[in-house]
Amino acid sequence: MNRDFDVCVIGSGAGGGPVAHSLAEAGFSVLVLEKGPWLKEPHFTKDELACCRRKVYSPELRDEQHVIEEQDDTTGWRATPTAASGWDFWNGNCVGGSSNFMSGYFHRLKPVDFRLKSAFGPIEGANVTDWPIEYADLEPYYDRVEHLVGVSGKTEQHENAEPRSSADYPFPPVVEHPISGDIDRAAKQLGFHALRVPRAILSTPAMQRRSCEYSGFCGSFGCSSGAKGSSRAALLDHAVATGRCEVRPHAKVFRIGTDNQGRISSVDYYIGDGRAQRVDAQVYVVACQAIETSRLLLASVGPKFPHGLANNHAQVGRNLLFSGGGAGSGDLVFSGQKEERIAALRQVGPFVNRALDDWYTFADPKLGRLKGGIIEFLWDHPNAVVRAENAKWRNGQLVWGKPFKRQLETWFRTDRTLNFEVFSDWLPNDDCFVALDDKVNDRWGSPVARVRIGAHPHDQRVGRVLAEKGEQLLRQLGAQRISSSVGPSPPPNLQAGGCRFGNQAETSVLDADCRAHEVENLFVSDGSFMPTGGSVPYTFTIYANSFRVADRIIAQLGGRRTSTA
Amino acid sequence: MIRRARPGKPCIEGDRPPPGSPYAWRHRLFSRRRFLTAAAGGSIALLFGLPEPVAADDYDPWPTLAKVIDHLLPSESDSPGATDINALGYLRFVVDDSHTSSDDREFILQGNRWLDQLADERLGRPFIALGFEEKERLLQQIAASAAGENWISTLLSYLLEALLTAPAYGGNTNQAGWRWLQVVPGFPLPGPGTRYTELPL
Repeated sequence: MNRDFDVCVIGSGAGGGPVAHSLAEAGFSVLVLEKGPWLKEPHFTKDELACCRRKVYSPELRDEQHVIEEQDDTTGWRATPTAASGWDFWNGNCVGGSSNFMSGYFHRLKPVDFRLKSAFGPIEGANVTDWPIEYADLEPYYDRVEHLVGVSGKTEQHENAEPRSSADYPFPPVVEHPISGDIDRAAKQLGFHALRVPRAILSTPAMQRRSCEYSGFCGSFGCSSGAKGSSRAALLDHAVATGRCEVRPHAKVFRIGTDNQGRISSVDYYIGDGRAQRVDAQVYVVACQAIETSRLLLASVGPKFPHGLANNHAQVGRNLLFSGGGAGSGDLVFSGQKEERIAALRQVGPFVNRALDDWYTFADPKLGRLKGGIIEFLWDHPNAVVRAENAKWRNGQLVWGKPFKRQLETWFRTDRTLNFEVFSDWLPNDDCFVALDDKVNDRWGSPVARVRIGAHPHDQRVGRVLAEKGEQLLRQLGAQRISSSVGPSPPPNLQAGGCRFGNQAETSVLDADCRAHEVENLFVSDGSFMPTGGSVPYTFTIYANSFRVADRIIAQLGGRRTSTA
Repeated sequence: MIRRARPGKPCIEGDRPPPGSPYAWRHRLFSRRRFLTAAAGGSIALLFGLPEPVAADDYDPWPTLAKVIDHLLPSESDSPGATDINALGYLRFVVDDSHTSSDDREFILQGNRWLDQLADERLGRPFIALGFEEKERLLQQIAASAAGENWISTLLSYLLEALLTAPAYGGNTNQAGWRWLQVVPGFPLPGPGTRYTELPL
């Protein structure tokens, strides 16, 4: 049958990019539909307003939002639309998606993450399960990401290091900040092991991309040099250059159509002026980030799917994951330090690049052997307006005039704040899922996602243990005003799950190849597939798995059509 | 990853913000204002106790606003104030920008009329004719009300933007704000053609 494209990919972020790149390289025609605009390097300036003060890279919440259900002591679950709460669950709606705005901490999952249930046993109230694949199945794809997306780092021998097929990273580490050596020393004094963090940032020019220019404005800002390994810069630009991949920005998919046999027949989307368009392909790949992927499947009812696409076993949207853990900070005070030391602390540009993974698994005196996580160190947010915002308050009262100015001077000129972030598992549970809201619609009239965000109490126990280690390191560094916060609220920028993969259609949406059990020509290639999330940021694993899925799609379409990659 | 936290929590006002919650300011200001406006019958004019609808008259809020922001961020010999960083020009950009909602625009501007009415009632003169101590007392008085506190807090937020964002948006003249607070900006900076208002969104 004549189709518009071989493959239609919905979403252009870390889940969509590897599929588009691999399929176009293999000789297939690919269409990528992206809801947002196509911004490129020259558009990504270090703009304090565009990042963090205005809705530039994501929609105004009055146009598109979510409804968040939080546990309420008295009434059960309380639903609040995000336009009312201001709690934004969008993470970057433009070509390349939220990978444009990541910090690019590229830790692999460890073998134990693939068999959490076997390794630690079940946990009451949590839907922990083993993955249907092993670390060895994903390892070649982590390696591929390191080379194609570009990962900088240096391998080191340590207890928790993952097995690797390449001896080292393809690019040397990015330049590091003087504090990195201080963290190494402090960790050694404490008997910890500070790990050099691999980054999806080019330290040398390669693959027609410039190297990092060390502006110091990386995480939550778009990259102006092309060094950051966003799906756009690292994959889609190359896919488009093959002549076989078309990226359509401002294309908001609202329904996936199916025929009487339960196969996808077409995709319907709105273009910029609001008109609906239709396109078809042999194979369809959904990669809209976890919440929106589940939402699109649930909204796509058809003759064989009265409750949403691939949802005849009521699994779509269930077992949504965020990241457990929390964050902490301490101030490195300048007073009493030598000039050179102050100058070193104030340096902007080089990366901290240090994490602790000594407690990736650990023994708890009461609870036995537990899965833990990592602790990542980073400077305070580079956006000065974000840092300054609270200087207008003192003891709950507004301050202005000279007292306001003196407070700003103290906050900006007398110390530098070093933060840490704890990444630990968000246990899958029955109170964390995506459904469709029955009242709130987006600006096109489609129901928005209603997200229940229940956390398992076990996550906070683990997070607290790790946060105490982070505080311990800050104390050893001599930081003052040390604090940390671990709670049940999810970080909206760390999403996975909702369409877990597994061997049984009764308990999973996708098979081990991330093809829908119920729909032969549907694959999901974003973080939705993960049944458990591991204890590192998701992007690296999403990339690796998406390359793996791409190989399965190529096989399903009869193998490569070109001879070289 | 710059993990994003829930807005407005667990930050205690007066403390430094928690890491990774860049939108907290917006949430706190806007949700409070929405609550206050709803309590006032959904009208920003009523929130400030102004007659509604406010007739299209010749009241110009800008001279009062100029004096208010000079008072909130005064010039000193060794540090810039609102005038030095062209904060008024920056506020004109904010109210003209389509990213600013009509509610925000109305709120910023109507607050001045309210302040002038109070000045007239209590001191018999408009705000711009008051001395430093009188201005300070009047601002302290309005800050004691929920609406007044929210208005001043909003202005302070935009003053921080005028002080610490790229000069291409009209404030931070000659990077005076960055130099004063020893902030090292990123590069490249937005300029003509790459301001967020000009991106092909």
